[in-house]
Amino acid sequence: MQLLAPPPAPAAPPLVALRDDGSVDPAHASALTGELAVALYENMVLARALDERLIALQREGRITQHASALGEEAAIIGAVAAMQDEDWVFPGSREFAAALWRGVPLVAYAHHVFGTARDVGKGRDAPAPPFWKAARVASTSPLVGTHIPHAVGAAWAARIRKAAAATLVFFGEGATSTGDFHTGLNFAGVTRAPVIALCRHNGAATSTPASRQTASAGFAVKAVAYGLRGVRVDGSDVVAVLSVVREARARAIAGQGGTLVEAVIPGDGGADPIARMRVHLESRGLSAAERDERLRAEVAADIERALAEAAEAAPPNRESLFDDVYAQPSWNLAEQRSRR
Amino acid sequence: MTQMNMVQAINDALRLEMRRDDRVVVLGEDVGKVGGVFRVTQGLWDEFGDDRVVDTPLSEAGIVGTAIGMALYGLVPVPEIQFADFIYPAYDQIVSELAKLRWRSGGEYPAKVVVRTPVGGGIRGGLYHSQSPESLFIHVAGLKVVCPSNPRDAKGLLLAAIRDPDPVLFFEPKRIYRAAKGEVPEGDYTVQMGQAATVREGKDVTVIAWGAMLYEAVAAADEAQRSKGIECEVIDLRTLWPVDIDAIVSSVKKTGRVVVVHEAPKTCGFGAELVALINERAFLHLEAPPARVCGYDTPFPYALEMEYLPLAHRIVPAIVETAAY
Repeated sequence: MQLLAPPPAPAAPPLVALRDDGSVDPAHASALTGELAVALYENMVLARALDERLIALQREGRITQHASALGEEAAIIGAVAAMQDEDWVFPGSREFAAALWRGVPLVAYAHHVFGTARDVGKGRDAPAPPFWKAARVASTSPLVGTHIPHAVGAAWAARIRKAAAATLVFFGEGATSTGDFHTGLNFAGVTRAPVIALCRHNGAATSTPASRQTASAGFAVKAVAYGLRGVRVDGSDVVAVLSVVREARARAIAGQGGTLVEAVIPGDGGADPIARMRVHLESRGLSAAERDERLRAEVAADIERALAEAAEAAPPNRESLFDDVYAQPSWNLAEQRSRR
Repeated sequence: MTQMNMVQAINDALRLEMRRDDRVVVLGEDVGKVGGVFRVTQGLWDEFGDDRVVDTPLSEAGIVGTAIGMALYGLVPVPEIQFADFIYPAYDQIVSELAKLRWRSGGEYPAKVVVRTPVGGGIRGGLYHSQSPESLFIHVAGLKVVCPSNPRDAKGLLLAAIRDPDPVLFFEPKRIYRAAKGEVPEGDYTVQMGQAATVREGKDVTVIAWGAMLYEAVAAADEAQRSKGIECEVIDLRTLWPVDIDAIVSSVKKTGRVVVVHEAPKTCGFGAELVALINERAFLHLEAPPARVCGYDTPFPYALEMEYLPLAHRIVPAIVETAAY
């Protein structure tokens, strides 16, 4: 038996922008204003602190579930920060930080996590990244990959309507094994939908290693088969992720098609994305130790205030269960609502 | 009024709505230049072009999944699934996403999609081009399910479905795509969803049917009248869910006897739910056990499809037995 093709070449090394001394590769330094650099850092600090707090609440049994993204803050926030207001964002199960960046109030997320009457989702789904219509953050289900065709469809619709808008969809590498990943990216290629598909390659889907998801050399290479562009980027480097997704967005808007971005997350003992960005801020004189301490204290206080409010809030009333199945309740729902 | 068949009436509805509302897009396998395997979308591509009448890759999950995204963006997608038998790859998207989006998002993100698909047997389509999966969708909270039996209803119901705020499964009985002809009003009109039609009045037995089997039910009613003098009331459900419960219950209260007819397998078919509803609401009016004449609990056959289908010759004995009980 002969092999039809040689074994795949090893994946290209992920693209890096932040150097060890905190400086930025000039190829990726454009438009990283001090203000944006600080915002990226502060949002990563918030994401980390909130993630740790929600993990603790889950372990205490006060909330039923929380899908954490510890160590993946740069991949999530760098990508979402590259998008514009008119764009749509489709989080997967772990990208609550992307929703917060888009403007979902912390307290709204807290009400969702506790399933209160004030949850925008009316307490109907277990904790998941919050949606927010005003910020074009889509509602997500915990089903892996089903949202990828949604993001492609929204991008395709933007193209049909000749709007200068793109969509960003997040997922982990486990999702690349689903049919929805394949069909979604295939549609994206065929329709030239302006979509950026961001795969967080963290090495494990729940417990299953990446080597049990694919035999290909990384995940970005899969883009080739769909006629998309594939890029590998260091997922602990918020500046590199921002730069790569910005470029992907510009190409998408220009009608040059979508991009599959593989953000490679370092494993245990690897670089910490927040520490890396702090070195950058310090190199620009933007973060002193004292200011950093104040930031962390403020973030912790904001989180506690939001969680405390939601923890005390009332659950939804029984009648609300029957709303929103349809725009108007059908006769059977009206009947079930009125009879206990 | 114009004489049309079902294909022409559905095509007319799509064309009218696409002219009226530029958010409406048609997508699916072979729906563009060719106009679909049954030619239901013929001519739409010529009039509305590539952006609004789209030949998609061959993936039902992709068709419905991207349609959901289009709807979120603000379009009104009307995807076609080439045969209802092919809908299962899209079942996850329909059941887990489309049906639940409004509820899951507290009403913020309704996804308005009308999935059109040819349904049912009788065209020698065999196992994978003949199925009737309506109960699999009626069971799912958040979906509406429609199955017209004639051109006038098909056009009016499709226009109503596209304008309805909720996702709709629009089943088109392919056996009568060209066989069912009738007068269709020109221009814009709707047939309200959720309303059954009494197509034949009678005092002895209520016969409930929809789609292609309506004609078998009417033929059986005619035969029962001719041979036994039994007067059947035949109800065409038209909308399967939300079903017109008032029309059913008032007829059964009048006749005290009911026969439900459908092509899908008997067990857990929609007839089971109809009989349960009748029992709950008209039990003391019943003079006989409600009867079901359905497809068998087998997969849909190729060579023996006329044995499988609940045709008039199988419905007549059920009517006679129910009347004589």
